[in-house]
Amino acid sequence: MTGFLKGAGLVLVLVLVQTSVLPLYLTTLYKPDLLLILMVFLALRAPVSTSLPAAYGLGLLKDCLSGLYLGLNAFSFLIVYLVLKALSDRLYVQNALLLVLTVSLSTLATMLINTVLLTIFSEANGIFSSMLTAMLPHLLMNAFVASLVAVFPELGRVRAVK
Amino acid sequence: MLDFFRKYSLPILVVAGLLIALITYSLNLSRTRQANLLERSVNGTLAPIQKQAIHSGGLLGRIWHDYIDLVDVKQENDRLKGELKQLNSALAAAGEALRENERLTHLLDLRKTVKEPTVAAMVIGEDITPWFRSLTIDRGSESGIREGMPVLAANGVVGQTAKVTANSSRVLLLTDHASGIAAMIQRSRARGVVKGRGDNLCSLEFTMRGEDVQVGDQVVSSGIGGIFAKGLPIGEVAMVKKGEYGIFQTVTIRPAVSTAHLEEVLVVLRVPRD
Repeated sequence: MTGFLKGAGLVLVLVLVQTSVLPLYLTTLYKPDLLLILMVFLALRAPVSTSLPAAYGLGLLKDCLSGLYLGLNAFSFLIVYLVLKALSDRLYVQNALLLVLTVSLSTLATMLINTVLLTIFSEANGIFSSMLTAMLPHLLMNAFVASLVAVFPELGRVRAVK
Repeated sequence: MLDFFRKYSLPILVVAGLLIALITYSLNLSRTRQANLLERSVNGTLAPIQKQAIHSGGLLGRIWHDYIDLVDVKQENDRLKGELKQLNSALAAAGEALRENERLTHLLDLRKTVKEPTVAAMVIGEDITPWFRSLTIDRGSESGIREGMPVLAANGVVGQTAKVTANSSRVLLLTDHASGIAAMIQRSRARGVVKGRGDNLCSLEFTMRGEDVQVGDQVVSSGIGGIFAKGLPIGEVAMVKKGEYGIFQTVTIRPAVSTAHLEEVLVVLRVPRD
């Protein structure tokens, strides 16, 4: 229960930072995706029983705070999560560089899946060009934030728990 | 004779002294403004000493004022620094209040021009992704807001409400790809649909190639569709491109409202027609 509350508190802080604090200091293109980074972190280091519902929940939460399409990010998060989870047993997940690399690849994968889904199921023409424009700054910001996450001392405790 | 002097020496000396004093005084009465030998000697001797003394007195004063009397200066300095900080904060707050007042005055002016009831709302969040364009405002269904209601700022159209909760709503900005507003060129009355492009610009679509559209033309809502009232400012034409083929022209619009720094908006409680 304590772990759940801590996790919920962390997610709340991330959401507030991303939606209300960062826009004051960063231009739109340079927004990191803190929820995606958390999802990747959980996929690499948390057990399935926790991380699977968390990944889907984080995706749904992102949908609630972005665009009009509920379920879009939930789906793409789930796909990326399952791929990461399948690979995580074969990866040295304690490596900080791996988190940066995985976050970068997950960012690209999520954007690709979202583009495909939007193209097929929505009338948001031209979204691909917007995503393409935002891709590089978004990717760099995510990689940068992931590199910061990797040096948080809190991660050591997570490793120990695991 | 000698005995006489010995016997009355004291009175004699006193009388002589008094006489000398009286004579000295009387002799100087005629030259009161000139210094005599004694005065010149005394004053001449004392002057340099007095000079040093007065400097020393100043030095002592300075020592007193600059060092000994500065015991409480640190505390006073700290207090003044604190007061300066408070004054700076107050100044910044006053500036902020002034700017807020200006924005709200503009919003109030806009409110007077809208016939339908309106609700003022504060922007409390932005879209979490860079490719969708939406905002979160602090008013929801409890304030009478429903999905599809027009949202305005002092300069013009912002977008329309979507995903309304009890105490918050999302505003789909007119620059979002999913946004579409029936519009027309104010000057030539050429009609079209303003669609978001996702990059802080919009395009006027379905405007016939032969229609008169020029750079700088004002684009306003046409009132068709039942969401936005007629004549609300949307933006101005930034670029017009007419290809050799095709029945439509490509018109780029720069929105009248800069959504990047939007803080307050006005939601028009206009029930959209289904």
